[in-house]
Amino acid sequence: MCEYSGRLVAWLDNELLDQELPDQEAINVEWHVRHCAECRKAVSAYEEVSGAFLVCYQAAMVARPRSRMKWRIAGGVAAAVAILALVLLAQQQQQQPQVERLSVRLPSPAHAPAIAFEKSAPPAPAVAVRPRLTAPAPMHSQWMAEEPVVEVALPADALFPPGAVPQGFSFIAEVRFQQ
Amino acid sequence: VSGDSVPWVLPLARFQTSEREATTLFGELRKPLLRYLVCLGLSSDEAQDVVQDSFLSLHRHLSAGGSQENIRSWLFRVAHNQARNRQNSYDRRFSERLDDAGAEWVLDEATPESALIEKEKFKRLGNAIRTLAGAERECLLLRASGLRYREIGDVLGIATSTVADTVERAVKKLAEKCNV
Repeated sequence: MCEYSGRLVAWLDNELLDQELPDQEAINVEWHVRHCAECRKAVSAYEEVSGAFLVCYQAAMVARPRSRMKWRIAGGVAAAVAILALVLLAQQQQQQPQVERLSVRLPSPAHAPAIAFEKSAPPAPAVAVRPRLTAPAPMHSQWMAEEPVVEVALPADALFPPGAVPQGFSFIAEVRFQQ
Repeated sequence: VSGDSVPWVLPLARFQTSEREATTLFGELRKPLLRYLVCLGLSSDEAQDVVQDSFLSLHRHLSAGGSQENIRSWLFRVAHNQARNRQNSYDRRFSERLDDAGAEWVLDEATPESALIEKEKFKRLGNAIRTLAGAERECLLLRASGLRYREIGDVLGIATSTVADTVERAVKKLAEKCNV
């Protein structure tokens, strides 16, 4: 290591040191730096580092707004994502069916009635078909009937002798399960 | 002029003089002081508060007939001490502040290649600054503020020769870590 290496920073900062480095010594260091490649390289490095530090220091007051902006952007994106998620969730809930409807069509044997279940229900221990006492509601109101409702469609041929039922007529019975 | 009014006249004249001096110093030193405080890790609002309090103290100091020697280092010392009292996470915030500053500056570079090189340089510098001791960083900051070694010694309460040693050590460390 060069003997002058310990005085290079002081020589560079001689002005800040209020010229504390004696004139003769300052001249010696200057002469040495001119002829010593190692010290010249070191002085160059010190100057570069000091300059970079100064640039950072002077730019420090400008730097803060950028990071605030970053946070603002991040907050905005997070809010947008949250709103989008809420909207999608609401749409998904609207698309979900209110009533689960199962339509089962059994193969009809020769004399067995074809049964179509409109809604799955737990197996009932006993089925009682009771006649409707009040006036039958119109067709469209059956879909709004109280739960649970099972519609059983029986082909007319299974109830009446062949040819007894006029063409185009069908019978619909409403069945309620009681436990 | 009655004899009773004499004691009132002198402080008023002194007050007006000190106000003028404080206003002049405010114009000159407000910005460097603010920058120094921000680099120490204070937020902009905190730094503004500290600067205001420091100049109020200066005003009181001058009004009370305090010494006008080394006013710049006196002001930095007051601000420095107030800042230290306010800071909670001093070291961490200091490094972050300078890192951000370097990154921001790099954006102004002309070409992408040079911007990348500069960015790398400032990244290394930021890492190197984190390895510095508190006194080393403070000395470099005050040196970047344009204070002389003697004034830095006044602010930090250390001898001028200690400041010189500390600055030299810090610069060498940075140069070594930054591979320049």
